[in-house]
Amino acid sequence: MLSASSLIAHATNLDLVVRHVLAGLGHGIHAGRERGAGVEFSEYRAYAPGDEWRRVDWKLLARADRYYVREAERDSHVAVWLVLDATASMAEPSRTIEGLTKLQYARVLLACVAAIAQRQGDAFGLVVCRGERADFTPAGRGPRQLQRVLARLNGVDAGGVLPGADTLRASLHFSRAPGVVCVASDFLDWPSPLSDALLRLRRMRHDVRALCLHTQAEVEAAFDTAPSYRDPEHGDVFYRFGSDVRDTYARNRAAHFDEVVRACRKNDLPLVQACIEQAPGEVLRAWLRAHIAGVRGA
Amino acid sequence: MSQMSLWWWALPVVLLPILWHRQKREQTKTALLASARFLPAAEPKMQRVWRWHDVVLMLLRCLLLATLIALLADLVLAWRGDTVLVVPGTPAAVVDREAAQRITLADRDAVTWLHAHEREFERNARLVVVGDAVMPAVLPRFRHAVALRTSAMPVAPAERHVAVFSDRADAWRRLFAAAEGPWHIVVDAVPGPRTDLVVWDRPDAPPAGLGGRLWHADGGPPRDADRARALFAAWQRQFLGPLPYTAPAQTLAPDAAAPAGPASGALRHWLGLALVVLFALERSVTHVRRR
Repeated sequence: MLSASSLIAHATNLDLVVRHVLAGLGHGIHAGRERGAGVEFSEYRAYAPGDEWRRVDWKLLARADRYYVREAERDSHVAVWLVLDATASMAEPSRTIEGLTKLQYARVLLACVAAIAQRQGDAFGLVVCRGERADFTPAGRGPRQLQRVLARLNGVDAGGVLPGADTLRASLHFSRAPGVVCVASDFLDWPSPLSDALLRLRRMRHDVRALCLHTQAEVEAAFDTAPSYRDPEHGDVFYRFGSDVRDTYARNRAAHFDEVVRACRKNDLPLVQACIEQAPGEVLRAWLRAHIAGVRGA
Repeated sequence: MSQMSLWWWALPVVLLPILWHRQKREQTKTALLASARFLPAAEPKMQRVWRWHDVVLMLLRCLLLATLIALLADLVLAWRGDTVLVVPGTPAAVVDREAAQRITLADRDAVTWLHAHEREFERNARLVVVGDAVMPAVLPRFRHAVALRTSAMPVAPAERHVAVFSDRADAWRRLFAAAEGPWHIVVDAVPGPRTDLVVWDRPDAPPAGLGGRLWHADGGPPRDADRARALFAAWQRQFLGPLPYTAPAQTLAPDAAAPAGPASGALRHWLGLALVVLFALERSVTHVRRR
């Protein structure tokens, strides 16, 4: 039996991984405002792949010999925005699980959030930050939107650096409507245009949930000492790792992330730090519960 | 070995261009590390690989250095084989009897020439000296077998001009006419440019600027044969030096312990030329490469 992280590393079908992760999660994490998918009947809609079978109107199938889905009259109050940091540093691999990168992990967790949002009937959109650009997928509802977002997430590869402050400001025009903003990043650049944008969104009373991804090797400061290292985003400077600089590395890293945590706490922005070797279901649960805890605490 | 120049010890200098032209390559094992910023920066490790760039230039530079060292060390190549050393004036009939490479010497002193040039001959080269070679003071030692096929040449009497200032000029004339051997004495009335000897047989002092060698002969010419011979001998000893004897014909056995002669600088001209050409080529190739 593969662990869920290994599954992420080896699966190419994001949809399948999402189902796998959510199956272990059970229901009822997300406190949705809309209960059920058909409280107030609105209209019939042709069946689309991904629709739940229980929403198919079987009597209508018997009459018309076609699948129709009952659409409910709903008005979701929140839009869920998925922000994926896909800069070059997110290609950092797990040094213990072959083929697993931070980007893949973040992709799966964001896909899970999208699936949950879709089940609850919330609108959700996607912002991918890579190569000094912020690729924007408009918010929408329904299974087609989920397929669209999953396809977009599947096609992302890591590269480039974060977009500038102006680009991000232009891309986050959704900030007018209230929403949930789920950000998955490594937060190695802090402060950065992304962090500034997140703090600004938080100050605008958005529900911002940050997920900071590490690798086990980073946490334990255990890297191979043989090669010289380069920063994937910052130039041609060479770095050396050895037992003599291990403490320095750990100290610098701790100082950096202490600063990140301090800034988040100051701005009441729930931040969950996780290693990509951890089971994605647990991390997802912690991510979403941290928000609930944060709301309750606030 | 003891005769080898110390300059040959500089030959390892040729390795320098070979090392300089070795390619440097950045260490190939570099990995990306997202959190590398928390590490101290380090110099990129460079490793040299056994591959060379600009091979032509490298070879030119090596050759240049090798040629320079050879020039300084005065390289001697043993390139001459069996050789006949011909003393000038040897009749062609005598020379033609020997079938080998011929070297016509500048003078009769074949042994001195051979000492200077002995290292140019191959180890097994046989050397033959023909003609009227000079006999050295001691028996020469060579590393090669040297056959001296010498024979005394009838020497044509050399003309020697004498100017006589004397009241007894006729007596002097008779004396000079009686000279035998390699002497043929011509008595001139006034000293000219070819005059070897001026005989001053007058009581008053000779005028300045008479030119030539001046002999004060008080008491006129010698009157008997012994004193005349003594006079000629003195003349010869004083002004012409001893006449060399012809070396006796013999075969000198090779003597491995014989000291090798000094380098003769026979290749110095060619090495210098090669050095200039190589330098010009090296500069040109370097210039082309920089462009």
